[in-house]
Amino acid sequence: MPDPILSLQNATIQFGGLVAVDNVTFDINPGELFGLIGPNGAGKTTCFNLVTGVYKPTSGNILFKGKVINGIPPHKVAKLGIARTFQNIRLFGALSVLDNVVIGGFLRNQTNIFASMAYLPGAIRETERLRDQAMALLEVMDLADEANGRASDLPYGKQRRLEIARAMATQPDLLLLDEPAAGMNPQESEDLMNTVRKLRDDFGKTVLLIEHDMKFVMNLCERIVVLDHGEEIARGVPVEIRSHPEVIKAYLGEAC
Amino acid sequence: MKFWAVRFGSIGLAVLVSFGIGMIAQGSSGTVSRLLALAGLYVTLAVSLNLINGITGQFSIGHAAFYQVGSYTAAFLASILLSRGVISNLGTPIPWVLVAVATSLVTAGIAGLFIGLPSLRLRGDYLAIVTLGFGEILRIVIQNTPQLGGSYGINSPKAFVVPYVWMLTFLCVGVCRNLLQTAHGLSFLSVREDEVASSAMGVNVTRVKVAAFVIGSAFAGAAGALLTFNEGFINVNSFTMDVSFIILTMVVLGGTGSVTGSIVAALTLFILPEVLRDAPAMPLNAVLGTLAGIALLVGTIRLAMDHKGLGRSIWMPKTYIGIGIAVAGGIVVSVLANCLPALANRTIPSAELRMVIFSAVLVIMMLLRPQGIFGVRELGLKSFFRRANA
Ligand SMILES: Nc1ncnc2c1ncn2[C@@H]1O[C@H](COP(=O)(O)OP(=O)(O)OP(=O)(O)O)[C@@H](O)[C@H]1O
Ligand SMILES: [Mg+2]
Repeated sequence: MPDPILSLQNATIQFGGLVAVDNVTFDINPGELFGLIGPNGAGKTTCFNLVTGVYKPTSGNILFKGKVINGIPPHKVAKLGIARTFQNIRLFGALSVLDNVVIGGFLRNQTNIFASMAYLPGAIRETERLRDQAMALLEVMDLADEANGRASDLPYGKQRRLEIARAMATQPDLLLLDEPAAGMNPQESEDLMNTVRKLRDDFGKTVLLIEHDMKFVMNLCERIVVLDHGEEIARGVPVEIRSHPEVIKAYLGEAC
Repeated sequence: MKFWAVRFGSIGLAVLVSFGIGMIAQGSSGTVSRLLALAGLYVTLAVSLNLINGITGQFSIGHAAFYQVGSYTAAFLASILLSRGVISNLGTPIPWVLVAVATSLVTAGIAGLFIGLPSLRLRGDYLAIVTLGFGEILRIVIQNTPQLGGSYGINSPKAFVVPYVWMLTFLCVGVCRNLLQTAHGLSFLSVREDEVASSAMGVNVTRVKVAAFVIGSAFAGAAGALLTFNEGFINVNSFTMDVSFIILTMVVLGGTGSVTGSIVAALTLFILPEVLRDAPAMPLNAVLGTLAGIALLVGTIRLAMDHKGLGRSIWMPKTYIGIGIAVAGGIVVSVLANCLPALANRTIPSAELRMVIFSAVLVIMMLLRPQGIFGVRELGLKSFFRRANA
């Protein structure tokens, strides 16, 4: 058994009286495709916010590669190797598609700001390098044709793919995808499934994803944890989850 | 190497143009010379504020405060040099001017750091309030400090700084343009676009904001130092809130984020009132009529923009009807104004007229082109070539 890349140990966060994430514990192994599901308001996005340093857990620990990362600010978490996408797409809308991805790569930038202000050869080379890397990622995410368009002009499905490309540019070990298939048609989400699998198989990324599209999750993920009202109600491989009484109850209780 | 040839070539050109402007200034009257210096200073102020407001998206509205820090630093330095006998009342030698500029750059930058560090960590528009408050505190402190001239002001030996003003302008513009072509500049823009996403991508948002703020403040400080030697006398009235708002207007009018826009808007807003200074007094009813006509016209255009897009509808019969209504409306208002005893046979003196025109231009701009003259676009050799190739 390899050491887990990410561990939540009794992770809990409280907003006033509301316990949004309640004593959640799970491990993700390197190279896994891991699903986090649950009805609306279950606390899934809040888990992402805990892992990426947006919130600090009220109690419990978050470990990345064996190190406690509670309360480390988001930009440092990104540098450690965790990248995310957002449920409510958060692209740099007025900038070009390519520039969005270049910014993703900027955290591994090697030059200082004075070199950029003077436009010295080192800064130019570094920008070129980031641009090449970004172009290659757009290629992978099938967005190369749109490289020079405005990010906010992209159709919805492509914006979601661009978010993944941007996250990949940070060269993460762990990729957190928050409802990557939301708003996609069946063909698009089929394509996305293959792409995410490729990110794991060819690029060696570990993927933790939140998704409401059950077909997507069940086909793609190898293990799944189910949250409801902040608490874990089930875990296991897709076949176990599909027939789990608690899960059925939680989703039926939501009447959808 | 081609790269360095181009680089030194363009630096050389900027220096040459600066001295060219200097020669024009030297050959013309004192007023024109002063205007040439102030024009350059305003461009520097607008472009440096654009780095903070337009490019990084932080709403700073007290830019004049850093201009003031720089100006008073230079004046204070000059007064020390004067009392030590290093310089005389006849004038400040250029090497000392440059020393003062460098010192002011640093002091204004440090002031920016102290103002920016606490307020930029906070969310929302704290920065706006803090920068404005800083300007007011500074004014009161200076008014009560005899070493800085108190409320009277402070004299400094003059120097002919027009070429150096423009070199600073070119430097400021160059730095901003350079930055925007690198990944660093993109990280500034990303903070403007979305702070949460930026920090998730590893951008140290606070550091970027503080960096932009310090660089912007430092340039304003350097401009302040040159103002000191250009004017020979400064007091707190040179740095009122009005000055801050004019600079802010330049940035907004030019299109937040566009360096070119800031330059064009700064020059326009600076030159326009100066040109209008000599305009003749106008009859009140004519002015009111013209304003009413323009208002109707702008309203028509705005409606056309909302419905069809300006480009397609501009030559349609409706357009002529719109123009007709605007002209007729203007005449009606003008005639009516002349019938009212309170308004008849009055004139507006030119000094006030220019403020009317100035405000009207701003209102029209905001209605017809709220994104500013240039929006987020830049104008440069590249965009000309790109258009030519396409
Ligand atoms: N900053 C916050 N302050 C207060 N309450 C919050 C905050 N963030 C999240 N919550 C609450 O925590 C609960 C869990 O929210 P979360 O966004 O994690 O749900 P989710 O599982 O992602 O749901 P969805 O499927 O709708 O995205 C919700 O009740 C939400 O209102
Ligand atoms: Mg969510």
